[in-house]
Amino acid sequence: MRRSLRFFRSMRFGMILLVLVMALSVVGSLIPQKEQAMTYVRAYGAEKATLLMALGWNDLFHTWYFLALEGLLCINLLLCSILRFPRTVHAGEQLMKTAEDSSTETPCDSAQLQRMKEFLISHGFRKRNAATGEVYTRHFLGFYGSFLTHLSILWVLLFGSLVLMTPQTEDLTVMPGESLVLSDGTRILCESFHIEDGQGKLDYASTLHAISADGKQEKIQEIRVNEPMRFGNYKVYQQTYGTAGRVRIVNHATETEDTLFLTESCFLSIDGQNGVYFEALYPGFVQDDDGNYTLVTNTSGSYPDPVYRIQTIAEGMSTSVLAFPEETLSLGEIDFTFLLPAEYPGLRIKHVSSVLYGALYFGFGLMIAALYLCFFMVPAAVSVREDGYSVVSPKEVQEIREALTIAGKEEEP
Amino acid sequence: MSILFFASLIVYFAAAMVQFSGVSMKKAGLTRAARLLFMVGFALHSGYSIWRGIVAGRVPLANQFEFASGFAWAIVVLGFGLYRKGKAEWTMTAAMPASFLVLSYAAFQPMAIKDLMPALRSTWFVLHIGSAAFSYAAFAISAGLGVGYLLMLRKGKDDSDSRLKQLDYLGYRMVCLGFLLLTVVIFSGAIWAEQAWSSWWSWDPKETWALITWIFYAIYLHQRMRRKWQGKRMAWLSIVAFILVIFTFAGVNLLLPGLHSYATQG
Repeated sequence: MRRSLRFFRSMRFGMILLVLVMALSVVGSLIPQKEQAMTYVRAYGAEKATLLMALGWNDLFHTWYFLALEGLLCINLLLCSILRFPRTVHAGEQLMKTAEDSSTETPCDSAQLQRMKEFLISHGFRKRNAATGEVYTRHFLGFYGSFLTHLSILWVLLFGSLVLMTPQTEDLTVMPGESLVLSDGTRILCESFHIEDGQGKLDYASTLHAISADGKQEKIQEIRVNEPMRFGNYKVYQQTYGTAGRVRIVNHATETEDTLFLTESCFLSIDGQNGVYFEALYPGFVQDDDGNYTLVTNTSGSYPDPVYRIQTIAEGMSTSVLAFPEETLSLGEIDFTFLLPAEYPGLRIKHVSSVLYGALYFGFGLMIAALYLCFFMVPAAVSVREDGYSVVSPKEVQEIREALTIAGKEEEP
Repeated sequence: MSILFFASLIVYFAAAMVQFSGVSMKKAGLTRAARLLFMVGFALHSGYSIWRGIVAGRVPLANQFEFASGFAWAIVVLGFGLYRKGKAEWTMTAAMPASFLVLSYAAFQPMAIKDLMPALRSTWFVLHIGSAAFSYAAFAISAGLGVGYLLMLRKGKDDSDSRLKQLDYLGYRMVCLGFLLLTVVIFSGAIWAEQAWSSWWSWDPKETWALITWIFYAIYLHQRMRRKWQGKRMAWLSIVAFILVIFTFAGVNLLLPGLHSYATQG
């Protein structure tokens, strides 16, 4: 038991895990993830694709063995952090003891010693009195660097996994002027959406008006990529966009009027027999000398010369026609006026936990601070006696000495 | 104004050549001249970057060309900074060809100045990409020092030679700096990704390779700090690790399309 515990907390085990995570990550980055089975068959052939999918390499980062590796890494980090803690707490005392016990390494006279002391004070060392003389120390906080680094990696792994596993996201589209009602009754009204800003630069911004279920809280915000809206436990992202056709329908018989958005093929009819069948909206057209139209299908997303392809169905007769914006087709008592298309946003709505996000970001900050402590706050101690001094540090005496030399400030007394 | 860019490229090349001559012939005058040239190149390069930033109305780090240029610029800054601290000639010998090579790569990328695409308009832009440039620069210098270490070892220098020890130590310190900055890159990228794409980690190829690089350097640091590996082994490790950095920087953009593909599209 003790043996296996020693292995699980060992650096060797940690290194093995890191190498395995690294190797699997390489595989996962080279093979496209979460694609359809046919994609793998086309890319690698049926036999290899079958093997690849059996190994789960089509979604490698969610396979049980990859998650198990992460779990083992957490155990390794936890055990080595627990092991490291008492040593970290007592490291300062231990260093002072080592400094007191050390013998003079570099003999020098009193004038040189004085210079040495001044040099140490000017470099942030603090004088501590010891039984055998004086000990100059600095960066004792650095002792916590390694411990905090490992702890923060564990923290980030744990909270990172929770944040990745828990969010409930939903991708929804909403037409300008229309609302979405979320499961808890929160209403999100899309007041407007534009692709380009006033200066013609791509912007993709939606103005949203969110209202809580009880109507007590509301918020209006223009969201765009990088600027989601936070409302209650929701975060609303500007995710995609699309272009929808619009048609105004006036029924003279009932004196009613309605405007509809057309995002997919549909049959617009009052009686179910006569009406307009909307096929598609095209971004542009070319007209030849004979007056024939060729519809343009580009993928740039812009609709410079929009045209509607429709079929009018009346008295059992179907006729294919093109309808241009502001053109009205009359079928009996009903007028269909096709309008300029409207751009609409695709929103991603995520239910977020502030606590989890706060914890994760705290982990990020902690880790950066811990790495700084680890690398740039190397604890150092110099024992100064009447006959000279010696440079002492926890383990890497030579390295600290070199650091001081490299700083170009150490004057060898 | 592109002339400033190409002038700095030529001057960096000249500085590297003069530096190599100075080091191999052991002529201090030549290495001094190389440093002066390098400084001139740096001034030209900085001038070009400032001009480009003013014209673009943003920090010029938005595409592969601008990032490579920033990367080369960061190598020069760190090279001078390190030389100022340690007076180790090999710092410059590593920084000069490294900055020239990275800037040469930039010269082959599309140089047109374009508007920042909406996904890049973020407060995290400068921190994320700027720290990446400096992180890669630190790793580049570390690898350069590793090459220097191996060359000096081949020339018959002993492991205990103080200059070799200094190279080894400086290479390690550069890895420490680069690792810290790479951590900043990954975390700032994660926060940014959450704001832009709603998920702080998507296993996008760029993210994955940044993680692979981070893990490799974590192994390097463990071997150095805990196992006391030094010298030749660390020099080799820093060179291999830098190959990963290069792949993360350029290879991923070219070979593995993903969420970061705009880096190549400009």
